[in-house]
Amino acid sequence: MSRQPVQIPLPGFEAARARWQDAYRRQVGDEKIRRNRSGVEVRPLYTPQDWNGERYLDDLGFPGEAPMTRGIYPSMHRGRSWSQRQLIGLGTPRDYNARLNRILDAGGSAVSLIPCNSVYRGYDADEVDPLLLGTCGAVVNTVDDMDTCFDGVDIGSLSTAMNDPLPFTLLALLLAVAKRRGVPWSKITGTSNQSDYISHFVANHMFFRIALPGSRRILVDHIDFAARHLPGWNPLSVVGQHMQQAGATPAEAMALTLSTAVQYAQDCIARGMDPDTFLPRFTFFFDISISFFEEIAKMRAGRRIWCRVVRERFGASDPRAWRFKFHGQTSGVDLTRQQPLNNIARVTAQAMAGIFGGLQSLHTDSYDEVLSVPTEDAARIAVSTQNILREEAYLTDVIDPLGGSYYVERLTDDMEEEILAVMKRIEDAGGMYRAVESGLVQSMIGASALAFQEQVESGEQTIVGVNAYQVDEDPDTRVALARPAPEIMQAQLDTLARYKRERALKPVQRALDALARSTADGRENVFENVVEAAIAGATHGEIVSTLRQEMGFGEPLVQV
Amino acid sequence: MSEPAAETDRVTALVGGDAGALARAISDVERRTDAGRTILAGIRPHVGAARVIGVTGVPGAGKSTLISRYVAALRRAGRRVGIVAIDPSSPLSGGAVLGDRIRMAEHGTDSGVFVRSLASRGHAGGLAPTATHVVDLMDAAGWDRIIVETVGAGQGEIDIADAADVRVVVCAPGLGDDVQALKAGILEIADVLVVNKADLPGADRTAGQLEAMLALRTRAPRDVAVCKTTATSGDGIDALTGIIEARIAATDPRRMRTPQRMRRLLASAAGNLLGRELRESDAPWLLEICETLQRGEIDLESAAQRVLHARGISHE
Amino acid sequence: MTAQVHAPARVLVTKLGLDGHDRGSRVVAAFLRDAGMEVIYTSPWQDVGAVVQLALQEDVDVIGISSLATDHLLVPKLTEALSQAGLGHVRVVVGGIVPDNDEDMLIEAGVSRVFHPGSTRDDIVASIDRLACDARRDRDGAG
Repeated sequence: MSRQPVQIPLPGFEAARARWQDAYRRQVGDEKIRRNRSGVEVRPLYTPQDWNGERYLDDLGFPGEAPMTRGIYPSMHRGRSWSQRQLIGLGTPRDYNARLNRILDAGGSAVSLIPCNSVYRGYDADEVDPLLLGTCGAVVNTVDDMDTCFDGVDIGSLSTAMNDPLPFTLLALLLAVAKRRGVPWSKITGTSNQSDYISHFVANHMFFRIALPGSRRILVDHIDFAARHLPGWNPLSVVGQHMQQAGATPAEAMALTLSTAVQYAQDCIARGMDPDTFLPRFTFFFDISISFFEEIAKMRAGRRIWCRVVRERFGASDPRAWRFKFHGQTSGVDLTRQQPLNNIARVTAQAMAGIFGGLQSLHTDSYDEVLSVPTEDAARIAVSTQNILREEAYLTDVIDPLGGSYYVERLTDDMEEEILAVMKRIEDAGGMYRAVESGLVQSMIGASALAFQEQVESGEQTIVGVNAYQVDEDPDTRVALARPAPEIMQAQLDTLARYKRERALKPVQRALDALARSTADGRENVFENVVEAAIAGATHGEIVSTLRQEMGFGEPLVQV
Repeated sequence: MSEPAAETDRVTALVGGDAGALARAISDVERRTDAGRTILAGIRPHVGAARVIGVTGVPGAGKSTLISRYVAALRRAGRRVGIVAIDPSSPLSGGAVLGDRIRMAEHGTDSGVFVRSLASRGHAGGLAPTATHVVDLMDAAGWDRIIVETVGAGQGEIDIADAADVRVVVCAPGLGDDVQALKAGILEIADVLVVNKADLPGADRTAGQLEAMLALRTRAPRDVAVCKTTATSGDGIDALTGIIEARIAATDPRRMRTPQRMRRLLASAAGNLLGRELRESDAPWLLEICETLQRGEIDLESAAQRVLHARGISHE
Repeated sequence: MTAQVHAPARVLVTKLGLDGHDRGSRVVAAFLRDAGMEVIYTSPWQDVGAVVQLALQEDVDVIGISSLATDHLLVPKLTEALSQAGLGHVRVVVGGIVPDNDEDMLIEAGVSRVFHPGSTRDDIVASIDRLACDARRDRDGAG
């Protein structure tokens, strides 16, 4: 239940409050109760009677110490700031390599690989309509492709965010390249960014490739493999972004994400893994909407809840296991197509909320994100926004600067209450896996999506340029979609065909057969077999299709 | 005015296997157009070859996945399969979301499977008559196994069951008190009880509970089969298909659609038509009975008996 | 012919291509239902051939394609296939993210309307209602 603040004696307080309230009412008149997106009431003013620091150590503590409300590290951004990972992916591996080298030359050391939608969906380039190839990401199907992506780059000194859903074929191809180059796997650093199959299932994402029971198995195999062979790799990123983008309120998104993390932790424990070993490798990824204070409170509440859950439910004793490490991305859902330059202001507000919320790293969207793959100019503005906030406005110089604000602390408590209520519903439904299998979560999110849309339709929720402050815009100023030239994609298809012809087929067949067999054997690690198949020369599409055949094609649960 | 020649052409096309003609005829019948009525009359000589399988069950039992697998088995056996998928309409708007197609993706490009989604409302004569008319059209068009899938346990759904040759009810373990949750009416009509998601713990217990309930019947026990399936993996589907086919083969269809069931269907359809008339008619004799009821001079049952008497239906 | 007046419009809401996000199409499906229409709703990643077969069997009036990324590029293949199958009367609309330089191409390929983000519920419902009437009129007129 919501913490009630300790009532502190403040002589004259009630009289002063009554005076203010009168004056306020005289100016403003009667007002409707306002609620934020999560349904929490938001009042015009907050005072020490709403929150005070009498229980500072219990409610907030110091950064890096339980309950972690103020931050997971003692120094937060003052000790170590983040750099925006450039999301890159366009066209062929050669194109990716060119852009990657430009970024590394400019001093970056953290990169991301965004594959083409065809890859996301689990197919090789020769399995989809050519019209759909290479427009949103790089076409990477083989170990040669991956080698080309990182041509001339030392993969042992780079941190890669691999946007690579289950069964993590892109990571497998990267490990195959490492083996080829003699780079020890212990030096491969990064994160499996899209390992959260439950969020894919819920959000109907194209990332959902293999039926639920198979996905469940492969994720734990993957976490286990990473624990044994990849000390520098985070195998799990629990993603709240998909659910919030699908319509979940911020409180729901946090609750569902935490419930998902609880489910995965339980699955790992059931496999015999030690919480103090795997929990430090759990990372999280959240959408940051433009509901500024609500997002800050959501993140602080999430940190506090997770710390408590891992200690009380899983008995984690290593403080590294208590840390709610998360990456935030400004929400594309709040951006508009109308008057797109306004999106720069929106992204700035979202980024500030993320910084005040205490995230570990941040991605700011480009203002033209909603139109297509961002242009270089727009991407530059997005990075500059972060630099300005950090280095001109000094927003990261004070740890948890809004800590102690009557409003923000009260809101953090209220959001915690909402989040816990949703988590309880999921518990009562048998845990997150069963809750998504039955459609409960999807119904919840669908209802929130519809409610939000009603508010936009009625004008209650203003969206500048869309339902308010509209102008007639000149269509000629719009951005066109960049598409790779057909010859380039044809060349890629030819390369793929040649690869399939020239490789030794027997090892590939043996490895795919072993992969298929491993799915039926509980003692085998399926992901290990995926890696072996990649090393033997199997393509991404061949691996995914083998697993789909054995474990079932991932079908989302659809309901309106 | 509809032209008889046009309808004859449409009947010929439908019977000849033109899927578009069947689809449009179904629309006409749903909307109770004159053309629809003419076509229904025109297809009578071609009706009778199809066997009808009714499938219903609690939400969450995996009914749609099960049906998709069953359809695959029927297709392997060379059958042409029609499916009437019935979803509830919104009581407020009259609209509906008909989502059963989502699980039929497996058969989306198989022209040997014909799926038609029906909303449960908006059928002036009642859901059951409309559904049986759609079944008749599919029958005449050469679809030899027709599955009628309903969502739950409303009266309309129970009525439809009377039109089926074999009635299958699907449940699954762990859906709370799913056995108790199944309304008594549904359990009474089942010919085959399927416990799906048999890979979950509790499947055997659920099957056992069903068998115990059947054994407790005080009426003459009907031969009801209980079987287990795991639709996602396909386990038990061939066995289920065999059980259904055995039932179909064992009896003459006219004997399966027993006189009691036909009478129930007729009662439902006629009752719906009479009900609609009573709701809409302004006939003076009817208005008078209504006023008498309104003034509290008679009770409801007596009023109803007066109505039947006025319509020439005597009732003790 | 005494057709039932106001027989609900039958609208297919689906997705072609690779993307799976369907928050928008679910919301639209709910709007159409609440406006009294019958909506046939499918999972994403449908084949053009499957959509045509579905449109034929369900005798739909309008097909609404929800599209993100480049999936809208497949829509001309759909309109062509509908024509070939004798379903030229069925109206096709596209909703989602469609770059402006492709909107004309879609209209030329037979799409009746492209709904961009920010389209209101009333506009969508009214458009689809009108298009359904047109489709039915064309269908009944032809046969």
